[in-house]
Amino acid sequence: MNEKSDDDMLTEAARMMRRHTDAGWTAMRPGLLDRARRAFRPSAAVRGRHEFGDFFVRADLLVSQLRVAVDAVDGARTADVICATGDDNVLTEVTVQIAADFGSYLPGLAIAVHAAAYATVTGLLGELAPPASAVRTHVHIGDITAP
Amino acid sequence: MSGGEQSDADLARQSKLGDRDAFAVIVSRHGPALYRYAYRLLDHPDAIEDIVQEAFLDAWRGLPRFRGDSSLRTWLFTLTRHRVQRHNTRQRPAGSIDVDDLADRIPDTAPEPVSRHLHRTLLDALDQALQGLPPRQRSAWLLREVEQLSYDEIATVLHTTSTVVRGLLERARANLAITLKEWR
Repeated sequence: MNEKSDDDMLTEAARMMRRHTDAGWTAMRPGLLDRARRAFRPSAAVRGRHEFGDFFVRADLLVSQLRVAVDAVDGARTADVICATGDDNVLTEVTVQIAADFGSYLPGLAIAVHAAAYATVTGLLGELAPPASAVRTHVHIGDITAP
Repeated sequence: MSGGEQSDADLARQSKLGDRDAFAVIVSRHGPALYRYAYRLLDHPDAIEDIVQEAFLDAWRGLPRFRGDSSLRTWLFTLTRHRVQRHNTRQRPAGSIDVDDLADRIPDTAPEPVSRHLHRTLLDALDQALQGLPPRQRSAWLLREVEQLSYDEIATVLHTTSTVVRGLLERARANLAITLKEWR
């Protein structure tokens, strides 16, 4: 009889365990995904102002909206969004870092990203949005990925 | 990127910026591993759903501060271990000894024989044998042999050094071999 060594048996058992998806996970996955989609992320408040007065927007919502707007610019992917607030939770500065598609004309891309980001903060925060000069776009050349 | 599958780093970056679809991919990709890891570390596995759910919610809340010093996967295992540890500590009676704190210092004893489980499958026997290991040995063995983390990654999850991890693994393998030999 070709009896397996202890090591072989442990290795085989570990492999079986790795390949096995627990039924419990399969059962809980839909509920967890639903919960994850609704999960609240504690976040600072950013003040906005519209015709009826001041209001607050969660910073993570602002960041999320900036990501969506910047990702919609052809050739750009949001790498990071950094917001700074001053007195009374007023947004004073936004820095958007992007990864650019290989071959993109970077000055044109940066201008398009800046416009998208500025339109987003203006749309969300109204007259308390920072001036266009305080919305910055950094194009970081960190890696080159073949298209 | 080849194959169209997004990297963990990309998914973490998108999730950090509030992309819930990206986070859902993280949940689906790493959920099975975190589930089987937590399940086997818990003193009371009936809490498994809460533990895995809380670990992922910790991840969602913590992603804005995740700097990528370790891989996303290692970080998720670390969050899960913290959740399990907190739960196990709460469930143990006051005055009980935390085996995690002592496991590296006390001599190993062979786990209980599993002769009564001769008819179980190999997987069941392994599960049984794992329950006989001190928690840190069990954790190290699962992360290495099942989840295939490196020694350094395991050291990150367990907040220790790779030298300690090596020792934990040696003792875990020896103990499991003894137990499974009796099963066989």
